[in-house]
Amino acid sequence: MKRLLQLLSMAVLALTLSAPALAGEGGRTPLPSIPAAKGDQCVEDTAVMRRDHMKFLKHHRDATMHQGIRTEKYSLKACLECHAPVEGATAANGKTEEGHFCVNCHVYAGVTLDCFECHATKPETTAQFHPLVSPASAALKATERTDSTVLLNRLVGVSENKAGVAHE
Amino acid sequence: MSDHKQPDLARREFLGRGAAAAAAGVVLAPGVMLYGVAQAKPADEPVSSKVRWGMLVDTSKCSNGCNACVDACNKEHGLGNETHSRDTQRTQYIRKVELRHKFTGATHSLPVMCQHCETPPCVDVCPTGASFKRADGIVLVDRHICIGCRYCMMACPYKARSFVHEALTDQRPHTPRGKGCVESCTMCVHRVDEGRQPACVEACAADGSHAIIFGDLNDPSSEIAQRVKTYASSEIRADLGLNTGVRYQGL
Repeated sequence: MKRLLQLLSMAVLALTLSAPALAGEGGRTPLPSIPAAKGDQCVEDTAVMRRDHMKFLKHHRDATMHQGIRTEKYSLKACLECHAPVEGATAANGKTEEGHFCVNCHVYAGVTLDCFECHATKPETTAQFHPLVSPASAALKATERTDSTVLLNRLVGVSENKAGVAHE
Repeated sequence: MSDHKQPDLARREFLGRGAAAAAAGVVLAPGVMLYGVAQAKPADEPVSSKVRWGMLVDTSKCSNGCNACVDACNKEHGLGNETHSRDTQRTQYIRKVELRHKFTGATHSLPVMCQHCETPPCVDVCPTGASFKRADGIVLVDRHICIGCRYCMMACPYKARSFVHEALTDQRPHTPRGKGCVESCTMCVHRVDEGRQPACVEACAADGSHAIIFGDLNDPSSEIAQRVKTYASSEIRADLGLNTGVRYQGL
């Protein structure tokens, strides 16, 4: 009985693992193209950023506008320093643009993004790094695409560290 | 936006300007003063109403035909990228005005921008709270709240505000601008917060005219406060009693 259970759980695990892979490469599920950012960490954990980035941005926007608080953490300008769009990508028309981090994901999620009707879509200097990001990661290429399997795992909330489920 | 603190005018008038005198320059020897150099506030600190940013324009140094301040402003804020608007619709943060006295024939050339009033009519009329005055006296439009009704443009006695009529691209990162919002001179607030001078002031000095000076009107040791104290200066439409942050000398 114990042996049977073990087998069963292994089978379930194998199915879970293969599902994203099926949906990803050559699968029927469309995925956003998310360009890799500069540096190796964001100002918060990825899960927190994914859920709450709009709250951080909105809070910071009011503090900056009305009180002149210009810290770099949570500032849209600093976001774009790392998530710099690839050459030629704009966000003005609100359509999926190859290589624009914000727009691609918002279009995928069906969220109307109007920051870039006014805000600059790209930083003026891309040489700067967010202070939280180590300069050692400067070598990371901005155009490198994330593997779609990993991407889907991220989208459905499967953490790479959780019980050894997904791996890159 | 009601939680954003505006300076308490009544209290400030009661305290008077005397309170700021404590922060005056240090006397090194009779007649030799050490003026404090304007320091940038730390980035995480809110602006304070102890500061009142202002500009003084010396019209005798401002020459007819010189457009350095206007060009610098346009460049700094990325203005003039409207392609469909007529010339009269295009955004102007600052413009040159030529004056001629009808009787004496005396002429003046002066830059006119948002005058950063202490009691701004644009803020009074704004139905959404988008038009507001920062604690340090800089009058701004919060474009996140602006609905583009243009009431402030009607209310401004200086015709300082412009409306963006078309979708824009290639904005500068420090000056977000877009269709459907009113905008005006920000006194280069992004530079001021870093402890730098507004672009027009810098350009005027670089041009050799030195007609515009920028500084803290509340700091008695600042150059602008000294000049305002020593020489007669005036506001445009002083009859309105708006106590503008931009003042003119030699008008």
